[in-house]
Amino acid sequence: MNRVLAIAFKDLRSTWRNVPALAMMLAAPLALSALLGFAFGGGNGGFSIAATKVALVNLDKAPAASATATPGATVAPAAAQPAVGQTVVGILKSKGLKDILTVTSKATAAAARKSVDDGKDAVAVIIPADLSKAIFGTSTSARSSIELYQNPTQTVGAAITQSVVGQSLLAFNGARAAALATQGLALASGNGAQAGALTQKAAQTFVDQSQSGSGGLTVTQRPPDLAGGKKSKDIGVTGLVLAGMMVFFMFFGASNVARTILDEERAGTLPRLFTTPTSRQLILGGKFTSTFLTVLVQAVILVAAGRLFFSIHWGALTAVSLLILAAAAVAASLGLMVISLVRTPAQAGAIGAGVYLVLALLGGNFSGTAQSGTTYATVQRLTPNGWLLVGWNSTLRGGGVGDILLPLLVPLAFAVVFFAIAVLRFRRRFA
Amino acid sequence: MAIVEVLDLRKQYDPPKGVLAVDGVSFEIAEGEIFSLLGPNGAGKSTTISMLSCLLQPSGGDARVAGHSVVSDAQAVKEAIGVVPQDIALYPDMSARENLVFWGKMYGLRGEELTRRVDEVLELITLVDRQKDRVEKFSGGMKRRVNIGVALLHRPRVLYLDEPTVGIDPQSRRSILDGILALRDQGMTILYTTHYMAEAQELSDRVGIVDNGKMIAVGTNQELVDIVGAEAHVVLSVDHYLEGMVERWGQVDGVTKAMVDEEHAVLLVQDADEVLPRLFEAAAAAGARITEVSVTEPNLEMVFLHLTGRALRE
Amino acid sequence: MRRIFTLASKDLLETRRDRLALIFTVVMPIAFTAFFGLLFGGGSNRLPLAVWSGDAGPVATQLISQLQKSDVVTVQRVKKSEAEQNVADNKVAAALEIPAGFSAAVAAGKPAMLTVVGVSGSSGAQTATTEINALAGRAVAVEQAARAAVATGAGVPRSYPAGSRGGFNIAALAKARPIAAQALAHPAATMKVVEAGAAAGQVPSGFVLSSPGMLINFILFSITTAGVALIVERKNFTLMRLMTTRVRRSELIAGKILGMFALTFVQQIILIGIGQFLFGVDYLRDPAALLLMMIALSTVASTLGLLLASLLKTQQALIAATVLTSMAVAALSGAWFPLEITGPAFQFVGHLLPTSWILDGLRGIVLRGFGVPDVLPAFGFALAWALALFAIAVWRFRLTD
Repeated sequence: MNRVLAIAFKDLRSTWRNVPALAMMLAAPLALSALLGFAFGGGNGGFSIAATKVALVNLDKAPAASATATPGATVAPAAAQPAVGQTVVGILKSKGLKDILTVTSKATAAAARKSVDDGKDAVAVIIPADLSKAIFGTSTSARSSIELYQNPTQTVGAAITQSVVGQSLLAFNGARAAALATQGLALASGNGAQAGALTQKAAQTFVDQSQSGSGGLTVTQRPPDLAGGKKSKDIGVTGLVLAGMMVFFMFFGASNVARTILDEERAGTLPRLFTTPTSRQLILGGKFTSTFLTVLVQAVILVAAGRLFFSIHWGALTAVSLLILAAAAVAASLGLMVISLVRTPAQAGAIGAGVYLVLALLGGNFSGTAQSGTTYATVQRLTPNGWLLVGWNSTLRGGGVGDILLPLLVPLAFAVVFFAIAVLRFRRRFA
Repeated sequence: MAIVEVLDLRKQYDPPKGVLAVDGVSFEIAEGEIFSLLGPNGAGKSTTISMLSCLLQPSGGDARVAGHSVVSDAQAVKEAIGVVPQDIALYPDMSARENLVFWGKMYGLRGEELTRRVDEVLELITLVDRQKDRVEKFSGGMKRRVNIGVALLHRPRVLYLDEPTVGIDPQSRRSILDGILALRDQGMTILYTTHYMAEAQELSDRVGIVDNGKMIAVGTNQELVDIVGAEAHVVLSVDHYLEGMVERWGQVDGVTKAMVDEEHAVLLVQDADEVLPRLFEAAAAAGARITEVSVTEPNLEMVFLHLTGRALRE
Repeated sequence: MRRIFTLASKDLLETRRDRLALIFTVVMPIAFTAFFGLLFGGGSNRLPLAVWSGDAGPVATQLISQLQKSDVVTVQRVKKSEAEQNVADNKVAAALEIPAGFSAAVAAGKPAMLTVVGVSGSSGAQTATTEINALAGRAVAVEQAARAAVATGAGVPRSYPAGSRGGFNIAALAKARPIAAQALAHPAATMKVVEAGAAAGQVPSGFVLSSPGMLINFILFSITTAGVALIVERKNFTLMRLMTTRVRRSELIAGKILGMFALTFVQQIILIGIGQFLFGVDYLRDPAALLLMMIALSTVASTLGLLLASLLKTQQALIAATVLTSMAVAALSGAWFPLEITGPAFQFVGHLLPTSWILDGLRGIVLRGFGVPDVLPAFGFALAWALALFAIAVWRFRLTD
C-alpha cells in the first residue's frame, strides 16, 4: 500500500509542477465558467437578455367617428377612441417594456423590413391601414393582419415581440367578441333595438376589465419540486455551468496522468519499475490511484473555488461529496481506458480530446439549462457525464442523497466497465 | 560459488519465425567478480540482461541469481539485483534526492533506513551538494551517476550495468569505471555489458564474448587471448592493389588470417618480427608500396576477429 | 513557390498516414454531425409540455384543447407527481398545472392562477410559458367576453320582470360563450409572421440553426492536430534541418499555413456536404458566398493554429491552449447558444471576433438569402484578423526550442 501511495504522490507532485496541466485542469474550467456566467448576466438569478430591437410602422387610420349607432353595426366607436394601431404603438413603447423592447419608428413598411434585412432590428412590426376598420367596422368577415417580419436567427426576440403584440390584440379582439356576443343575445331575446348601445357597453366592460386586472389571469413560473414534494431552490445558471466544465476538464486531468504510463514506458522509468521487487499489479495500481487522486483533488479545488468566487451553493454535503467521488471515478477510469487503447502519447492527446468533446456535447456539459426536451434528455442519459450533471442539477436545487441515487449508480457502472477494459488492455500490454 | 548461473538461455521474438535474439547462452559469475558481456550492437547483450532482470520471459532455458530462478522466482531475484539501464531512467522534474527516495520506496526501503541509505548513496555518487536540484538540469555524467545510485539503494548482491558509458565524455567515463572498481572491491558482484573492448579488458575478471545471440567464448582475459595464441594484429596500408595484396599476404608463411578492412589490410600473424619482412617482400614483388604499418599485441578485439571473421566495431 | 507546395503536401501526407489522428479530425465530426442531425434534424420543433388539470370546467377544457392544437407545444396529459419529475428530468420543456376551481374563478371574475413548472433559464420553458400565456389569455377572454355580454342584460327579454332575470343569465351565458369563442377563434385582427429572407425557403429548424455553429466548433478544435505536428517537428530538429537547405523562412511558414488551410478546408467540405445532402441545410443556395465564408474560416483557423504553435513549446501546452481558446471563441461567437440570449457586454465582445461574423454569414446564407455582397464585410473582417494573427505568428516563429 505504501508503494501504491508512493507512486500516487509522485505523480501528484509531478502534476503540480506542470504548468500547462494545471492551466488545463484548474484555470480553464474557472475561466470558461466565468465567461459563460458573464454571458448570462452573471451570478444567480437567470438571464438578463439584451432588449430586442423592433422597427415599428403604423399605417393605421383612425376610424371616422359616427354619432349614431346603426342597426347591425357591431362596435360603434365613440369619438374619443384612438385608433387601434395607435394603442398598439403605445403598448410597445410603454415604460414597462423598456427593458425588453427597444422600439424605433419607421416611416414606411419597406424601411422597416429593410432594417431587419440589414440586421439592424430583429423584428419589424407593420400595422396595416385597415386595422381599426376591421376591428370597429361593420363587416363580420373583415380581417386585418399585423405583419411581424422577423430575422429567423433571432428566435427569442421574435417570440417576445409576438407575445406582446398578441396580448395587445387580444384586448381588441376580446372587446369585439363581447360585442358580437351581446349582439347575438340581443337579437335572440328581442332586444335588437338596443343592440347598438348594449354592444358598446359590453365592449367597454371588457376593456375596463382587462385593463383593471380584476378577474385577471396570472401565470407564475417556478422550478420543479424535488422528490417527496420538497421545494427546490431557484438557482442561477452558473452552478450547473461550472459543474459541466468541471467534469469535462476532469477528463483532461485524468488523461494527463494516465498518459504518463505511455511516457514512462518510452522514457524507461516504467520498465525500470518492473525490475524492482514491486509487482506489476502494484505498479499499475499505483498509476490508477494517481489518476483517481489527481482528479479528486482537482474536483475539490474547483468546488471550493466555485463557492468562493462565484458564491455557488452546491448543496447538501454528503450528496455533493458522493457526486465528487463518482465524477472522479468516471474521469479516472475513462482516461485510463483511452490510454490503454492508444499506442503513442501523441495519439492519446488527439483522440482523447475528440472523445471528451463528443461526450461533453452529448452530455450537455456546455449548455447549462439551455436545452430541454425528451430527445436531449435521452441523449444526455447515454453518457456518464450527463448523469452526473443530472445529479448536480438536483443537489444545486436542494436535493439530498435520496434524490441522486441513479445519477450516482449509473456513472459508477460506467466507471467499472471503463476500468475493467483498461485493466485487461494493460495486462496484455505489460504481461 | 557462482552467484549467477545462466543455463542455455534462449529468447525468440514472435515465434515460430521470429528473430532468435539469444540462442542458447550459458555462463557463470562468481561472487565478488566483475563479468563483462562483450559483443557488437545487436549481439543479444541487452536481451540477455533483460531476461536476467526478469523483464523478459525466456523462450527457453533458465538462469539462477543468488539461488533463485528468473523464471519461477522472479520476486526474489529482483530483491537481489540492482539494474542500471542503458538509457537514463529517472524522473527529470524531480530532484536527485526525490528520485532516490522514490526508488528506494519501490525497492521496499522505508523510514529511517531509507533516509540513511539515500544519504549514503548521495555520498557515494558525490552529489550531496546538488541533491536538491532537478535531474533535468544535470549534465550527462551527473545523470548517469544518479542512474547508478538508484540501483545501489537496497544493497543488491548483483549489479547489472547495461552499456553505462555510451556517449559520455572521457572524464565522466573514467569516474564511472573507477566507481565500478571500487564497488567490486567492497564485494559487489557486477555484470557489465559493453561493446568497448578496452573497458572489458580493464574492468573484468572474466569476459563472455557474444555474437548473433550465441556465447562464442568465455574466460579470463588471458584465457581468451590465448585462443588466438600469440597472434599479433598487423594493419597495413598500400598505395594500390589492396585486394590483391591481401590475397597474397594470406599465402605468406606465418599469417593465419588476412582480410580487408575498409582501406587497410588486417592480418593475424603468429610472430610479428618474423612475418613482417616477408610481408614487405611480398609487396615489393607485386610492385606495391607499403605506406603504413602497425602492430598490436593480442587483445580481445583480435579474439573476436579470430572467432567471427569480423571486427568488433561494425 | 514550388517548395511551398512541397512542404504543404508533406504535412498533409503525414496527417493522412497518421490514421488515428485522421479518424479523429475527420470521422468523428462527421459521425457527430450525423448523429446530431438525425436526432434534431427534420420534423417538428414542438416543445413537449406536460399538462395536469384538477379542473374540468369549460375554461380549463378550452385552454387544453387550444394547447393541443398549438404549433408551439405538444401536450402530454400527466398526473401531478409525474409533472414535477418530468420537468426535473428534462423530459418536457415545462409542465402546466391547472388548479381546481380555475374555471369557476374565471367565471366569477375572480383572480385565476396557472402555474408553469420549468427550469429557470431554460429557453424551452420560456417559450412554453409564452404560448400558455397567449392561449390562456384567449380562454379567459372568451369567458370574460361572454360575461360582459350577459352583464348588459342583452339576453333577458325586456318583457320579463327584474327579479326573474337570473335564470335567463345562466342560459344567456351558455349562449354567449360559443359566440365569443367563435369570435376569438377567428378574430378580426391577427398577426402574420413572415421570416425575413423567406426567399431562402428554409425553415429554421433545430439542426439548421445549429449546423453552422457546430461546423465552427469542430474546425477550431481541429487546429490542434496541425499545431501538434509543428511542435513535434521542432523537437525532432527536422525543422532546423529544413533551414539548412535553400528553403527560406517565409516559404517554410507559408507552407505550414497552406497545409493547415487545406486540412481545415477539406473538413469544411465534408461537413457542409453532410449538412446539405443529408439534412437539407441549404448552404449551396449561394455557392459564391459560401466559398467566401469557407475561405474566411480556414484562413482564421490556420493562422490561429500557427500562432499557438509558434508561441508554445510542448504538445501538452498546445493542447491545453487550443482547447481553451477554441471553446472560448466558440462560445463568444454564438456557436454554443444564440448570442441574442446573452447580455449586451458579452455580445459586444463576441462581435469583435471574426468567427461570430462568419457564423452570422453562414446562417444568413442558409436562412436569410444572403449573397456575396452581404458576406463581404465578414470576409474582410476575418481576413484582417487572419493577417494580424499571421504577423504575430511570423514574428514569434522559432525553429528550435
